[in-house]
Amino acid sequence: MSAVFKFHEWTGSAPEKPTAESAGKKLIQLEHVRKVYDSGENAVTALDGIDLKIDRGEFVSIIGPSGSGKSTLMHILGCLDTPSEGRYWLDGEDVATLSARALAKIRNQKLGFVFQTFNLLPRATIWKNAELPLLYAGIDSDERKARAMAALERVGLANRAKHRPSEISGGQRQRVAVARALVNNPAVILADEPTGNLDQKTGGEIIRLFEELAAGGQTIILVTHDPAIAKRTQRRIRIVDGLIADGEEMD
Amino acid sequence: MLILEAIIDGIRDIKDHFGRTLLQLVGIILGVGSIVATFSLSTAGKEASMKYYRVSGGIERIWIGNKQSSKVTQDAKAKASQGLTYADAMAVRAEAKEIDLVSPVSDSQMTIRYGGKESQRSVMGVTPAYSPISFFKVEHGRFITDADLMGAARVAVLGTTRAAEFFGSDNPVGKTIFIDGAGYLVVGVMEEKYFSFDQKRNALRWMNRQMYIPITTMMTRKGEPLKQGRISFMHARMKDVSRHKDAVAELERILFRQHHTKDYEVFSRVANLARNESENKMYDMTFMICGLISLLVGGIVVMNIQLASFNERVREIGTRKAVGAAPVQIFFQMLTESLLVSFFGGIIGLFVGKLFTNGISMLTRNPAVVTPGTIINALIFAAGTGLIFGMYPAIRASRLNPIDALRVE
Repeated sequence: MSAVFKFHEWTGSAPEKPTAESAGKKLIQLEHVRKVYDSGENAVTALDGIDLKIDRGEFVSIIGPSGSGKSTLMHILGCLDTPSEGRYWLDGEDVATLSARALAKIRNQKLGFVFQTFNLLPRATIWKNAELPLLYAGIDSDERKARAMAALERVGLANRAKHRPSEISGGQRQRVAVARALVNNPAVILADEPTGNLDQKTGGEIIRLFEELAAGGQTIILVTHDPAIAKRTQRRIRIVDGLIADGEEMD
Repeated sequence: MLILEAIIDGIRDIKDHFGRTLLQLVGIILGVGSIVATFSLSTAGKEASMKYYRVSGGIERIWIGNKQSSKVTQDAKAKASQGLTYADAMAVRAEAKEIDLVSPVSDSQMTIRYGGKESQRSVMGVTPAYSPISFFKVEHGRFITDADLMGAARVAVLGTTRAAEFFGSDNPVGKTIFIDGAGYLVVGVMEEKYFSFDQKRNALRWMNRQMYIPITTMMTRKGEPLKQGRISFMHARMKDVSRHKDAVAELERILFRQHHTKDYEVFSRVANLARNESENKMYDMTFMICGLISLLVGGIVVMNIQLASFNERVREIGTRKAVGAAPVQIFFQMLTESLLVSFFGGIIGLFVGKLFTNGISMLTRNPAVVTPGTIINALIFAAGTGLIFGMYPAIRASRLNPIDALRVE
């Protein structure tokens, strides 16, 4: 099997369109995903054969100690990185071997990111920040504005649209980041330690926001090292030494 | 529309860091400035000499004068030749196919007297051709006619300065003025000629200071035989400027046959213009190279600052990439910024160039004009610099790995 995938990588062949093979796949499906850094003598295996299925509408947390490979898994799930081996099906498409440009498009259209450090553009207003993914999708400015305002409405910050990130609190900044993640109606929202830079109360409010979105049917994958937060998700996937140690499936 | 966003971002950047941007742009500003100054001075210089020619006989006019020979041992032929004569002018008029007008001139300092005033003044003996060949028209009365020429009539036409000197505000036409003691009827007053390179001195003042009498009359007064009489110089007008070399060659051929020795000089304005132009090209090149070096340095500074700003904004670029910016989109965004900053430098450079131009123009008393073509050229140079030197930072940004970028604190 793996020889085939290596051949795939070697030729760098074009992305596969949804085919009969993709039918019946879950929203997210990883098959034997490995990630090895620095091939050769100093090779470090970050992921050592991950099989994972996440269904539409799930609210999942990925937990594990630092160095366990959960960040690497997050990057691969987020199409920021590609696996060394194995396949990754996202919303009916095999994205394991895509080019940088094709990956950018997948991130733009199917994924929403929330980072620990918010990563808002400091010089842009709240609504300019919220509409950023739409800018790269080539959507015209009227629609961008309407959709950004709708997303800000959902996180309760429509009244701050004209402010700069420096003029609002940390919790509010993370809400803007959530609005930015929502604005392109992504198949999946990926949140990497979203409460890591927030106090407990505001962090709790952000998790509450995720719960509301999940209740509305939004698929969310949340990476955290905080068991208390993980407990509030429907499903927990524990990563240890590049392998899934525990990842009970929803029925 | 992404480019539009990038432009808005860029303008905000310039506004937020105005001082820094200005410093960054010093090279481009000076580069554009010196390019503007070069273009302005050289086009204006050329235009000014063209204009001068246009009001004083056009580039089609050729000047033929006596060559002063300093050789102690002249051969027999040279001794035999008496310099340019009226007969030479007649020969050119009769034979030269490339020439349609010939105007021989014999000038002299003579004593002018009218009323109580008497002074030594320059008088020119001319033919009727003098007026059209010099684009010099009569304001009052008439010019020298063929009849005046045939009869060696004692008539005079005055330049405006002479008219004012001897007659004040009175009309000189019809009055009798005394030249070397003989009475001449004033039949006309010329128009006033004016052209200035520096808006101060009238370069055509000498024309206003002349008095004109028929050349035949002048010969008689000088005691020269009419047909063989020596002349000071002559003008000839070529039919077709594009064949100016043929016209000069033809003149040389006829004159050499007349004189058997080259004791004359032929200057064509077209050839003169071309020679000036190639001389000026040297100066232009020097200035241009200074400007280009300045732009080169300016470009490197822009590149440096773009790289620094890129390092400052690694996280921002990483975020943009994470939310779906393709490498090519980041590339164009960064490039637009360099382009915009350089273009902005170009605009400031235009004003600095205008200052340079005015300064040099004032110091050297040379004319200068900033033309739309110059402005467009300068802006193209500035934008080109931004484009070339913005390339490397833009490529680096476009290749940035989003994971590494997001990891940067």
